[in-house]
Amino acid sequence: MRTLTRNHRIAEFRRITQDPVLFVGLVIVVLFVIITVISPIYAMVEESLTEKGRELFERYLTSPVYQRIFRNTMEMGLLVAAIGTALGFVLAYVQVKVAVPFKRLIHFIALVPIVSPPFAVATAALLLFGRNGMITYDIFGVRYDIYGLDGLTLVLTLSYFPVAYLNLRGMIQALDPALDEAATNLGASKWRVFRTVTVPMLIPGIAGSFLLLFVEAIADLGNPLVLGGNYEVLATRIYVSIVGLYDTTAAAVLSVVLLVPSLLVFIVQRYWISRTSVVSITGKPSGTPQVINHPLVVWPLFAAVMAIVLLIVIIYGVIFAGAFTKILNVNNELTLDHFDFVINGYGSEAMKDTTQLSAIATPIAGVLGMLIAFLVARKKWTGRHALDFATMLGIAVPGTILGIGYLLVFNGPQQITLPVIGTVTVIPKLTGGRAVFGGAAAIVLVYIVRSVPAALRAGVAALSQIDPAIEEASVSLGADNFGTFRRITLPLIRPAFLSGLIYAFARSMTTISAIIFLTTPRTKIMTHQILNEVENGRYGNAFAYCVILIVIVLAAIGILAVAVGTTTGAEKTTIEGAA
Amino acid sequence: MKKLSVLVLWALTATLAIPLAAVTPAAPVLAQDDTLTVLCTPQEDWCVAMTQAFQEETGIETSYVRMSSGESLARIRATQDDPEFSVWWGGPADAFIAAYEEGLIEPYEPELASVLPENAVGEDHSWHGIYMGAIGFCSNVELLEELGVEPPTSWEDLLNPALKSNIAMAHPATSGTAFTTFWTIVTLKADELEAEEEGAGYDEEGMPTEAAIDAAFEYFAQLHQNILQYTRSGAAPGQMAATGQIAVAIIFAHDCVKLQVEGFEGIVVNTFPEEGTGYEIGGMALIKNAPEPEAAKRWIEWALTPEAQAIGATVNSLQLPTNPDTPISELSPRLEDVNLVDYNFIAAGLHRTEIVERFDAEIAPQPTD
Repeated sequence: MRTLTRNHRIAEFRRITQDPVLFVGLVIVVLFVIITVISPIYAMVEESLTEKGRELFERYLTSPVYQRIFRNTMEMGLLVAAIGTALGFVLAYVQVKVAVPFKRLIHFIALVPIVSPPFAVATAALLLFGRNGMITYDIFGVRYDIYGLDGLTLVLTLSYFPVAYLNLRGMIQALDPALDEAATNLGASKWRVFRTVTVPMLIPGIAGSFLLLFVEAIADLGNPLVLGGNYEVLATRIYVSIVGLYDTTAAAVLSVVLLVPSLLVFIVQRYWISRTSVVSITGKPSGTPQVINHPLVVWPLFAAVMAIVLLIVIIYGVIFAGAFTKILNVNNELTLDHFDFVINGYGSEAMKDTTQLSAIATPIAGVLGMLIAFLVARKKWTGRHALDFATMLGIAVPGTILGIGYLLVFNGPQQITLPVIGTVTVIPKLTGGRAVFGGAAAIVLVYIVRSVPAALRAGVAALSQIDPAIEEASVSLGADNFGTFRRITLPLIRPAFLSGLIYAFARSMTTISAIIFLTTPRTKIMTHQILNEVENGRYGNAFAYCVILIVIVLAAIGILAVAVGTTTGAEKTTIEGAA
Repeated sequence: MKKLSVLVLWALTATLAIPLAAVTPAAPVLAQDDTLTVLCTPQEDWCVAMTQAFQEETGIETSYVRMSSGESLARIRATQDDPEFSVWWGGPADAFIAAYEEGLIEPYEPELASVLPENAVGEDHSWHGIYMGAIGFCSNVELLEELGVEPPTSWEDLLNPALKSNIAMAHPATSGTAFTTFWTIVTLKADELEAEEEGAGYDEEGMPTEAAIDAAFEYFAQLHQNILQYTRSGAAPGQMAATGQIAVAIIFAHDCVKLQVEGFEGIVVNTFPEEGTGYEIGGMALIKNAPEPEAAKRWIEWALTPEAQAIGATVNSLQLPTNPDTPISELSPRLEDVNLVDYNFIAAGLHRTEIVERFDAEIAPQPTD
């Protein structure tokens, strides 16, 4: 398929245009990506290339102080990406392939960080491991300075490794056990199977996780704000340029500096992945996976996994305990005041707003993700790589950049002047308190843009594990593209769709860097409120917010799992409804 | 088919018109505003108490966003064409002076302006003072003891290498507290220079000279070696001291007392620098082109009443009220007991932008050894 000529691809494009449903879908997707992803990034780059921007570039690039900040950012990103991916891999592998007890519990606990705002972890880490930490000081008597790189690596890894875990777990589950069996039958040891079958099959997943974690880490704003100390990173510099100085040019210049490594890693990874990708062509796995039960493998892995689990449990234990006590570790009297503040008091507005906006963004992101996945993975038309790339930019670019881009583009109405009709507002003002829906529209768009890439990757990953022949068969039997998508493709990638939806909702509920510049007096966002509470040391309120946020996300996951279903239908041995 | 397309067109127009209608502001001239959006700079619980009380009093639906002083100024500047807020309440006056200089504030003279002390009324009634407070050092007793350091009583004490990574202050770009701290040092350095040679510290108009500002930057470059983190909001370092993350926080004294009252009694102690400390007059102003001007004016009138000014103490915000008829909480740190510098708010306001930009470029991002 790779040798398709240019003419073929153009022909394929024509074929899409002839299918009305597909064509409308394509047009919507392309317009959406141009307006919500490309234009803000373009505006930001444009702003950085103004005369003042060029001067700032020169100043930053030659200044040792800024070179140091840049190195800090990279160092932190690479550390978190490497450790986080490794953790995710170990957990995922153990979860699927190794016979250990408490699998469901491990799975549940590993997912908790994904459904909670990052500050929760940072704040709990401060209380546990800081100078006055309940573990470092109260137990070991050490005044440990957690501010800086070590603390950041810890909290960022814990916050983001579940993304790697989920990705890799999905992929390991999708591996066909028949391959392992074949390799074993041919005389390979388990280690050799792991090395030459399992890992190569997972390279796209590992690389993808590394990419996601790297950009998440270098773009993360909440954690460096809480415990960066004097370890300056680009994200916090950008933040101060906006909130303290409202210098959009300086912010844009720093953003471009942050954008370059993000994009570089992204591009290298894509190229590399596409060269090393190994695809099984057997459709969905049908057998039961082989389980490793050699005690020398099982128990060390189990101990490692349990250590991670224990750390997460302690951290979230602190969050829960903190939400129910006056001032944890100072005045441990039980209280419900913090919950009263969030549920009935001032915080209720943010709680409702955030949930509503996330609920609006989630289905849109899920459907868009699957649609784009289908368009880029199954249809070999000119421009599919560009569409895939542009969509992925939504997550490849750091959130702060997107936020600044939105401020630049949508802070006024976008108008075009037409003959006869006159000036028409194509897109009204979207950001700021006086914008449409009190600025909520921009936030929903950002939520979608940030969530679609994960859904897209999950969709593509799922599709690449399914032989296109299955769909071709459907088309040969007379179904149209839409019918095939709906009745064949969609059920097969249902787990991917579900994980896309879950990711979208959890992501939207917990995102901060992309929307921190977009919250308005009329649209309050929980994560932003939590940051305020954390910064001012009202940890109780912050933790209560976190607990409620976690409960909302978990409830939503339950609802989504029931509504969408977790299976593909192919797992069953009997084929039902042959039509 | 034609009918259908007409229908679709109508539907499209209608959906487009809904959001457009939503943005069209209601005619502001006649309307008695039924909502008010406050940009609130003091601590959150005070913002809550104030807006609730105002809402109960007037029936005007009042919401607020809390932002630190510098953040507020930046936000008002960024949204000046179509302001989101109507009234800006709280934060040191120099930010208000800077804002008036930039044409972001609409002068308005409330009835009670006459009872305020002279220095609590801005030029042309551009802003009015609502509270006062002095900068102090809020220290964690236990940590200081371990470090073998006495609670600091001078700005020089903060440069003690034993306090490395054990001091926090806010970033002057976002926080008025931190800017007040900075200008305090500028004033002290100007006094020093003036004592050495007449005209070296202050120019003919009584403003601190560039040399004094440079000397202040030198001080903060040294202090930077001991700073663990620059926070966004002014009071945040106090919490860090209270929870044992740092030994000394440079914050307003009333914020330190607030911590003591709210559960950290005996954990933190408040001291003042002997050579003199700076103070703030918390300002309040009507924002230019405010979307809810009538409600905003009502707020300004109300906020100067003794009843409104007494609300702070109920949430342990122990700033000194500016209306002399307001009862003062016995917990409030009194300015009479402290050696205050001759803080020139106007000079501070005029130099604000230049100083915070320079601080952000030269001091904050520097690595420490």
